[in-house]
Amino acid sequence: MRRNLAALLFATSLLAAACGSNTPAAPSTPGQPDKVAVGVIPILDVAPIYLGNQKGFFKNRNMELKLEPAQGGAAIVPAVVSGQYQFGVSNVVSLLLGQTRNVPVKIVCNGDNSTGVDGQDFAALMVKGDSPIKSPKQLAGKKVAANTLKNIVEPVVRESVRKDGGDPASVQFVELAFPQQPAALQSGQVDAVFVVEPFQQTVLAQGGRKIASSYVDAAPNLMVAGYFTSTQLLGQNPDLVKRFTEAMKESLAYADAHPDEARQIITTYTQIAPDVIAKMTLPKWPQEINRAALQKLADLALQDKLLEKPVDLNALLPS
Amino acid sequence: MTLGLGLAGLVGFAVLLELVPRLGLVSDQFLPPTSRILSTLADVVGEDRFWVALLDTLRTWALGLAIAVVAGVALGVMIGAVPVLRAATASTIEFLRPIPSVALIPLAVLLYGSTITSTLILVVYASFWQVLVQVLHGVADVDPVARDTARSYRLGQWATVRYLVWPTALPYAATGVRLAASVALILTITGELVIGSPGLGKEIAVAQESVAVPRMYALVLVTGLIGVAANLITRTAERRVLAWHPSVRQEVPA
Amino acid sequence: MIALNRIFLLLALPVALFAGWWFASAGSTDFYVPPLATILAAFDDTWFGPRLTTDVLPSMGRLGLGYALALLAGVALGVAIGLRRALRALLEPVLEFLRAVPPPVLVPILMLFAGIGNGMKVLVIVSGCVWPVLLNTVEGVRAIDGVLADTCRSYRIGGRLRMWHLVLRSASPQIVTGARQALSVGIILMVISEMFAANSGLGFSIVQFQRGFQIPEMWSGVLLLGLLGVVLSLLFRIVEHRVLAWYHGIRAVERQR
Repeated sequence: MRRNLAALLFATSLLAAACGSNTPAAPSTPGQPDKVAVGVIPILDVAPIYLGNQKGFFKNRNMELKLEPAQGGAAIVPAVVSGQYQFGVSNVVSLLLGQTRNVPVKIVCNGDNSTGVDGQDFAALMVKGDSPIKSPKQLAGKKVAANTLKNIVEPVVRESVRKDGGDPASVQFVELAFPQQPAALQSGQVDAVFVVEPFQQTVLAQGGRKIASSYVDAAPNLMVAGYFTSTQLLGQNPDLVKRFTEAMKESLAYADAHPDEARQIITTYTQIAPDVIAKMTLPKWPQEINRAALQKLADLALQDKLLEKPVDLNALLPS
Repeated sequence: MTLGLGLAGLVGFAVLLELVPRLGLVSDQFLPPTSRILSTLADVVGEDRFWVALLDTLRTWALGLAIAVVAGVALGVMIGAVPVLRAATASTIEFLRPIPSVALIPLAVLLYGSTITSTLILVVYASFWQVLVQVLHGVADVDPVARDTARSYRLGQWATVRYLVWPTALPYAATGVRLAASVALILTITGELVIGSPGLGKEIAVAQESVAVPRMYALVLVTGLIGVAANLITRTAERRVLAWHPSVRQEVPA
Repeated sequence: MIALNRIFLLLALPVALFAGWWFASAGSTDFYVPPLATILAAFDDTWFGPRLTTDVLPSMGRLGLGYALALLAGVALGVAIGLRRALRALLEPVLEFLRAVPPPVLVPILMLFAGIGNGMKVLVIVSGCVWPVLLNTVEGVRAIDGVLADTCRSYRIGGRLRMWHLVLRSASPQIVTGARQALSVGIILMVISEMFAANSGLGFSIVQFQRGFQIPEMWSGVLLLGLLGVVLSLLFRIVEHRVLAWYHGIRAVERQR
């Protein structure tokens, strides 16, 4: 028994010793490009940064980009605040919410926008093919799936219902991750879903139909996501932030002008099937932040009691 | 025979999984039949990124488990042997145990980002309690007659631990290690899924977000197989190390 | 005197840790690690209002139901598997396989079968709690004293009497260990089950606080979970003393010799 035990302990310690540990990214050394870690979510919205990285827009400005895919803002915001990542991407409502709670972050540049075309957006409010619901006002009192609560889905869907003449406050939202939404819609567990691409294609393929383009209902050319950094980094290294912003703007313009290349780059960081990628509606990637749309969204969120107090956009947006 | 039966069980399960979507009990879009999952798996296994992810997962799991076991056994024996210490720490252990490791995710990410270290913290935190509690039980279960005998023979502190406490606690510790192994695996994958540290869990998350359903199931299958393999290894090791214990030496006749 | 001693031991370390936390975090400006004072201030407002009945109690109810079902299933399956070597060999790989699937992946699959309501959440809790109970029951049944088993056979005690007095009673210390672990697992799963398709619950609230950057409230929720664990384990210990009175009695007598 003793021998066996010793062997076991020895093997375990060997295994433990053989495993190297991951050291966090080393700080940049002069003469070398700045190492920049960016927290992203592997969805189609962030195609510009991948494309820009591939095209060398960041390298040209002396930045070595490391794109870190994460599940969502819940992981990205703390990492940016603590300095693990220099930048991150997040949906704007989380950032608005954060601002009202004094999370020390600031938006540096635009992420992506709605296409602004009703019925042809990259996100839609959808119902099952044979559903009796034909328009948003019939969603009063019904269940709508949102990928996360306290997000952009609630205010924009409520606005769709409001515009159609229904009672927005009576809509019930259920939190359900995108991958589970098509199945829940199909089996009738939720009455409607608000999905983005590629899940929009999935729902369409199973016979679902769109009843509203809520991003379009909320505000023209609505800003959906943005890139942000910590106020600490902004204070310590404003030059890095400026270079990142410029590179991002160049990437956004390029992606917006070359949709085929954008579609191509999406295949490299997701597992979406190529035929689905070809059919997906892409978001718009303007360089400038649509402040008016953001203010409208903030007002809607405040009205729906998602925000407890008005947002100070000056504190959140770049000056 | 054991191996044959085990395989039979797995095959039976695979057949069940083939039939359920084909019979229309669930849409095959959301739960593909076994055959489709297996053919996707054949493709996945050919990719480099799969093997890199697999190695990352195994590394995190093994390291986390090793740390948890060493810490759990050491602390368990120390605390269990001294009644005062045991009484003093009892309430703290009871308080810290049920805090879900998922609640630690923001803290881990804050300190270490989406690296393997964050997931490691999750894994160690959850597995440690499994081992500790089992070892504490084991130490408390020492046969009083044997303990008195040890005292009569004036065995020192170290000898007492080695010849008395350790053999009694070993079966409990073995169960603890086995439980910790599976908890560690689950939390490794969960951590990778939620935090996004490199590994199979992250691959599963990407597959989910890309609506690549058969691929996701293929990766889950791999996870399950790792669990089965881990169980086999720990059981074999347990049988070797505990060859002298009645529960292994003699199966109860039905 | 002894009672005072015991109370002191019970509270000493927690109080020390608490005080340590208080002073260490007192001047904290870190957004994600607020001072303990702030967390405690948030505690009262957050949990003792309407949230008690809308979130906390339903979660506890689901936990209770899931736990009870897991105990029943775990013991029943565990006894069956522990007694029959062939059955164990047949089922073990499949069970280990299912067990290795992490909850965030398992839940969507369960949702396909069980929907998104309370049933699904209870099922998630059961799916996790059953394992420690099952495993420990199998171990307990396997380690039944051979002499006792032979005695039973000599006296031709079979069927239900044998099951109750020999099998279950011999295995009960191990089963109780398993049940104890299942309790901690249950609380964790209660939180996880409420991260899917939920719009109320204790775990749900904690996650939403995290999403909404309400960090002191989130920490207060984590504290509440810890307190819950302590209370439940105290309750468990009371029940255990009754159920295993015979076992503790034998041990105590032997120890006093």
